[in-house]
Formats: sequence, C-alpha cells, structure tokens
Amino acid sequence: MIKLSNVSYRYSDGTHALHDINLEINDGEFVYITGTTGSGKSTLIKLLDTEVVPTKGTVEVNGVNVGKLRYSKVPLYRRTIGVVFQEYRLLEKKTVFENIAFALEAVDTPKVKLRKRVREVLKLVDLSDKYSSMAKKISGGQQQRTAIARAIANKPKILIADEPTGNLDPTTSDEIISLFEKINKEEGTTILIVTHDADVVRNHPKRTIKIEQGHIVDDRFGATIDDIAKAEMEETQQLELTRQEQIIKEEEESAKKIEAEYNV
Amino acid sequence: MFRRFGRHIKEGFIGIGRHFSMALSSIASVTITLLLIGLFLVLVVNLNVLTTEVESSISLSALVSYDVTSSSELDNIKTSIERIEGVKEANYQSKDDEFTFYVNQYPDLSDFYELYRSDNPFHDVFLVSVDDGSKLESVKVSLERVNGIDSVHDGGSNTYVLISALNKIRIFGGILVLGLTLLAVYLIYNTIHITIEARETEIWIMRNVGAKNGFIRAPFLVEGVIIGILGSIIPIGIIIGGYLYAFDISGGIILGVFDLLQPYPFLLYLSCTLLCIGVVVGFIGSYFSVTRSLRRTR
Repeated sequence: MIKLSNVSYRYSDGTHALHDINLEINDGEFVYITGTTGSGKSTLIKLLDTEVVPTKGTVEVNGVNVGKLRYSKVPLYRRTIGVVFQEYRLLEKKTVFENIAFALEAVDTPKVKLRKRVREVLKLVDLSDKYSSMAKKISGGQQQRTAIARAIANKPKILIADEPTGNLDPTTSDEIISLFEKINKEEGTTILIVTHDADVVRNHPKRTIKIEQGHIVDDRFGATIDDIAKAEMEETQQLELTRQEQIIKEEEESAKKIEAEYNV
Repeated sequence: MFRRFGRHIKEGFIGIGRHFSMALSSIASVTITLLLIGLFLVLVVNLNVLTTEVESSISLSALVSYDVTSSSELDNIKTSIERIEGVKEANYQSKDDEFTFYVNQYPDLSDFYELYRSDNPFHDVFLVSVDDGSKLESVKVSLERVNGIDSVHDGGSNTYVLISALNKIRIFGGILVLGLTLLAVYLIYNTIHITIEARETEIWIMRNVGAKNGFIRAPFLVEGVIIGILGSIIPIGIIIGGYLYAFDISGGIILGVFDLLQPYPFLLYLSCTLLCIGVVVGFIGSYFSVTRSLRRTR
C-alpha cells in the first residue's frame, strides 16, 4: 500500500513541487496519474523511488517510511519497486535476454533461477521469440516490452511507468497498456502510470489522479482525461459567462450614471 | 561469494573490451606516469645507498691530549665518547699506529717522518663514526667537550655540503615520486569517470533494480586494477632493459667513484613496487570516480 500524508516537496532552488498531498493507493490497484508538465508528477515518482525525500509529511510504501529509510537500505527497498520510462533505457549492445538478466544479476540471482525467471517474463510480455535479438534491432513497442520485462523481473510489488506510451503509436500504446493490465491481474502488481495520453485513459478506464501545480485537483475512479478536460472546460465557460455578465453590468451602471449627469 | 567475485572479474574485462579506446588512453597515462615514477625511484634508491655509503665512510678524528697517558684514562674517554647520542662506534688508534699509517701512506716522505720517530708528534686518536650523517655536526661539538680530547677533525666543510646536497636530492626525488603517484591517481580517476558517464544507463539500471553500491562499484574497481597492471608492464620493461644496459656499459660505477646497485634483487623489488603502485593507483582512481558518481543521487 502507498500512503502519502501531508506530503510537500520543495527543490533547493525554492520551487514548490508538491503541496500537502494526501493519497492512498491500495495493493493491486491500477492508477493513472495525469497533469501538465511541471505539475509535480515526476516529483511524486521520485519520492516513491526514494530519489528524493519529502520536505514535509510522510511517504509510506508497504509499511516502510520512505523518507526515513537509511541510505544502506535503499537498494533493498528498490527491489520492491519496478520503474519503466518513456525512453526505455535499454542496454543497446546486449540482447533482450541479457537486458532482462542484467536486472536479476544485479541483485545476485543464482543462474538457474535467473534463466527460469527471464523465460517467464519473456513469455508474459510476449517476447519469447525475440530473446536473442539485439535490443537496438527490435521495434519501439518491443523495446518497451523488454523494459517492462526487466522492471518486473525481480517481482516488484509496485510498478511505476513514466509516460510508457510517449514514443509509441496508438495501436502499440494500446497493447502496452493491455500488458500492464495483464501484469496487474496475473502478478498482482500495483501499477502507477503517469500519462498524457487521452486515448489510453479513455480506452482503459481506471482510477485517475490529476495533479496541477503540486495539488491533487481530481481523483476519480474511471474518470478519463476527457472527463477531466470537460469539467475544466465547463468551469472555464462558467467563469467566462460570469466575467461577461460583470462587464454588461458595469456598462449598464456607467450608462445610468451618464444619463443622470446629463439629465437625458 | 566466489560466483560474485568471478562475475566482477569477468565484467571488469568485458568493460575494458567494450570501452577499449578509453581504457587505452588510461593505460597510456599510467604508462607514462609510471615510467617517470620508475626513473625517479631508480635515482632515489641509488642516491639513498650512495648517501648511506658516504655517511658511513665519514668519521671524526678525536685527538687525545698529550697529557693523557694511562690506559684507564683512555678507557674513560672511550666510554664518554660512546655515550654521545649519534655515535656508532669509537676505535682507538695509538700515536704509534698513526705514525706507521702516515709512513706507509706517504712512502716518499718516509725519510722525513723517520726524523720524528723518537719524538712522535702525533696524538692518540679515537676514530668516531656516526649512525646518521645529519648528526655529524652535533657529535663533533659533543666530542670537543669530552675531558681529555684536545681537538676534533672532520673532512672539512665540503663533507657537510655533500651530505646536505645528497639529502636534498633524495627528499626532492621522494616528493616527486609521491607527486607523480597522485598524478597517476588523478589521470585514472578522470578516465574512469568518462567511462562511467558513458555507462550511466548501466549504472542507472543497477541502482533502479536495487543493486547495492558494492555490486555496482566492483567491476569498475576491477577495471581500474587491470588498467594499473597493464599500464605498469611497459615501464617495468623499459626500466629493466635501461638499467641493465646502463649497468653494463658503466661497469656498475657512475662518475668513476659511485657504485650502482646490483641489478638483482634491486630490479625485482623495483618491478614489484611499480606493479603495486599501478594496482593501487588503478584501484583508488576507480574507487573515487565511481563513488562520486554513486553519490550524485540517493
């Protein structure tokens, strides 16, 4: 379970990235995090990945107070979290198999276990036939699948994906999100996806949290980016109407004043 | 544990192979620096031996007063001399021994010396050697204060100038060797750092999947050590060849006076020293470099 209580984060240059965030994500949930650039989404990921610690409040992940985690314990904590990025970050000179195996080697997995697990995740991400292909020779979608396979190789409890479909076409994006759904269902992994992709959110509706200027402005189950955008548009329309009414009112008052002055 | 160790060694070699041009520039830097270190070590060690030889060959002559005649008085003087700090040993030579020595030393003047045999003008002498050339002056002052000693003679002011000059060269050479060693650390540090920058994704992945810092660091340390070993091979070869050649053509004597150290075991020790410096420098350079990179983020 992920629990953020009154979490604020301020960068050393004084920028407030997050303000008093309160958030709970249960085990096995599938959540989208949306928001404009600079809204604080990435900072939220950094907090969960312990790259930064909150300047105020507490971040608890699976019962661990991440902010109080000792430096030496960070690697062990990170084994419970998988991270996937838009730009894949694969080792281009290694094969698909080696890329996934690398993550397992890094945590000292015995060879027999390692091979078994790599085969499992390759099957899960549907890349069994590409295990010997060089990472740079496969398509973008396949590269992202490899990155996902690497992220889940160590069986993390939480999988965080930062714009995982940012470089992919709509069909491949759809396949990647379906893959996340499969992982969520089959492995019971909690999934957090940061995305701008309205199609993704519309086609695979889940709990959607919107962050703007460091605040959670919307948190609804099944809300789509369209819904949020619609609500925003309605709000903007309402504001515009109020503004126009105010202008008409002011003009009327001004006309009345002129009438009274010149006794028209 | 052995499996992990084997993996680090393997990864270290793979790392060098994958980034061969960078490794090669590191090896070249270490080679040049170790060659300079080696040359200065040859100089410093030979000077060290030379200085020790010069120091041990210098002795002070403490002339005993004419009025000291009994053997008990001479024994007391010897005891007093041996108690002085810095005195290695004091050897007694009677005035008759001294007379014979000079007669033998200058046979052309033997007739002249023989005129004085019945009325020997020489003093009984204590030939005093010191354990360290830097104490020569203080020992001389102390000797002059010993009862029964008439005067003390040294080899003249040139002796002190020579010892001081040799010491200065030795210290300067030592500092230079140390400076060059630090320079080698810095060169390896920088090259490994560039290698690390080029392998940021690799490190990022390892960190993200929860690899411990020791695990991330180990292959880079192995790389550093390999670079150090490879960088020390050429300097060792050049110095062994050069020294043997110099020893051969000079007959082991420099400036017609000073002996060069025998090639064996000197060159063996020197080679081991250079290899050790290469290994240590490679290890330290890599350690600092990779630690800096790992500290950048939590």
